[in-house]
Amino acid sequence: MTTLLLFNITNGLIVGAFYVLMALGLSLILNLSNVINFAHGGFLVLGGYIAYAITPYVGFWGALLLAPPLTAVIGLIVERLLIRPLYGRDPLYGLLLTFGLAFMIEDGTRFIWGAQGKPVAIPPFLAQPLSSDLFFITWYRVFMVVVVIVAIALLFLLLRYTRLGIRIRAGTLDLETVAALGINVQKLRTLNFAVGIFLAGLSGVLAAGQLGLEPTMGTSLLMPSFIAIIVGGLGSLPGTLIGGLLIGVAAGITSVFFPAASEAVIYIMMAVVLLVRPRGLFGEEGIMS
Amino acid sequence: MATSQRPTRVDRRTILKTGAAVAAVQFASPYIIQARGETPIRIGMVDPLTGSYAAIAQSEVVGAKFATEEINKKGGILGRQVELLVEDSANDVGTGVQKTRKLIDRDQVSFIIGDVNSGIAIAMAQVTSEKKVLHIVSGGHTDPVTGTSCSWNVFRVCNATAMDCNAIASTLIEKLGKKWYFLTPDYAYGHSVQSGFEKLLKAAGGTFAGSLVPIGTPDYSSYLIQAKAFNPQVLINIMGGGDQVSSLKQFVQFGLDKQMAVAGTLFELESIRAVPDAARVGWWTMEWWWDQPGVPHVAEFNASMKKITGAAATARNWFGYASVQTLGLIANQEKTLDAVKLAHALSGFKLPPEVALQPGAPEYRAGDHELMSTVFVGEAHPPKGDPDNMFTARSLVPGEKAAGSVEDTGCKMQWPA
Repeated sequence: MTTLLLFNITNGLIVGAFYVLMALGLSLILNLSNVINFAHGGFLVLGGYIAYAITPYVGFWGALLLAPPLTAVIGLIVERLLIRPLYGRDPLYGLLLTFGLAFMIEDGTRFIWGAQGKPVAIPPFLAQPLSSDLFFITWYRVFMVVVVIVAIALLFLLLRYTRLGIRIRAGTLDLETVAALGINVQKLRTLNFAVGIFLAGLSGVLAAGQLGLEPTMGTSLLMPSFIAIIVGGLGSLPGTLIGGLLIGVAAGITSVFFPAASEAVIYIMMAVVLLVRPRGLFGEEGIMS
Repeated sequence: MATSQRPTRVDRRTILKTGAAVAAVQFASPYIIQARGETPIRIGMVDPLTGSYAAIAQSEVVGAKFATEEINKKGGILGRQVELLVEDSANDVGTGVQKTRKLIDRDQVSFIIGDVNSGIAIAMAQVTSEKKVLHIVSGGHTDPVTGTSCSWNVFRVCNATAMDCNAIASTLIEKLGKKWYFLTPDYAYGHSVQSGFEKLLKAAGGTFAGSLVPIGTPDYSSYLIQAKAFNPQVLINIMGGGDQVSSLKQFVQFGLDKQMAVAGTLFELESIRAVPDAARVGWWTMEWWWDQPGVPHVAEFNASMKKITGAAATARNWFGYASVQTLGLIANQEKTLDAVKLAHALSGFKLPPEVALQPGAPEYRAGDHELMSTVFVGEAHPPKGDPDNMFTARSLVPGEKAAGSVEDTGCKMQWPA
């Protein structure tokens, strides 16, 4: 039983790490632009399909490097054309827009690549488990966790030490003052949106290698990411990180004792957090009130 | 013009309201395939064109559309052209029921076909029974459709889950062992397959455990950890569509294919195509297969499908095709659209070879209205020669043998006075 529990906790951390990657992108966009990006799952799928489309030419590694920035470029265009006109309005506008966008992307991928799932091959050495005891830790999953850690480290370095990052953080706290200081807030939001979508694209490539590709896969991966943000706390990137890992582990532990509830448990966690500490575990006061 | 940069904060209520809205809103896009003739006969088809079952639903629509064209080329039904109206159930019971009512009340269809999702098919059957419309369930497998919930107006082309279980269980027990772990989707279809298997396994003195998995679960690692802990000889994977693809992919990546066998009832061609070679493994049942050397008309049908889709015909193509053809055949034979008369005529009706496309002449069994279709039991494998040659049938089980007796199904057919 102990082994099973340990396995599931470790497994939960791996699954959680993936949610973190996706939730961080969502969180970035939410914090600076106040857009609840329901199309985030759509961008994830788009990243996966772009990788699928370019793999025959550039291979798995090339696709891993190229698909996320290509997805980010699409995100950039979407932000410029569709989302920008909605800044300053009620957040519901952005939410409805991205909600519709999610369906458009899903149907678009179905139209282009078909409703039938696509097999995505990964390099054979990654598709092996570490050992027959630790069968659930494949090299691909190790690699995925490493990519997530590197991406998070880079993101935190970007936010901490670069001019863009400092402006994003400042803008998150007080956009009006940042604008008054002469910073082009529109550009800042666009870049920030692109960084968020880059993370969605990266999640998409990683997910495709592990789970395969299907036009609907974004939806099922999106909800846990939203919950990670709410549990971790709106406005806090470290909160998002911990939120993602927490829900992964909670689902893992639940699956030992009551497998059927392993999906429901993350919603229960969200409900409890909202009741007891509405701003989330690490959320800024005021944001969630 | 000054634009305020003051952010409008997203509050908790907004997020919660949104969550509720997302749960409530269903995405649906009705469309009409073709309209021909002055007073066409309309067939309404409800299938989940969006959602997890979109690929197989679309395959059924392709087959149904092809059958419609064939019927029209031969003069239609009762001399009138046939129009196929396709509606998206969006894999949601409420939407499926609403679309069925709309097709019957507003579009005045004479027949209803659908749905891939068993839960929706049963709910639709309640509507069609109430409205006295002849209904063919093309691809919803759960037993009650032609079992405890059977109805005089409902006929089914695809197999009942019990048929697939009965056809393959003894092979699995003999070849692979008696200790099984179930990976079962947590809804009508999954429950139905698992209980069918459990009954047979218990009778053979086997042991089992299993996980009920919510539909649309993206990651199967925790369930596979449970499965490994039980250390079964066979992992019975009952998941469908994209869920089966993801779970099999992870199963193989974890190297579990080297430690236990994998098997189940359906691993449809649409799903086999969606997994990499490594995951094209295991023992499964096919309800129809495109490569049946020596069986008349199969090659022609396969060639026609290939022309439309660019790939070999799938069982789902045939489900859609056989459903529409059945309606055309019976209406032209009886020269009426009266649902009760047609239902009586369909009870015991044998499909002709050009529609049956399999050995023998399967009939809609009078007692439960289930088509006694041949079950193909065999193994999945990476392509051999033809890119769609990814399954080899090892035995063909006649439908009557797989289905067992009508009494076993629990169907008590009630006809309108």
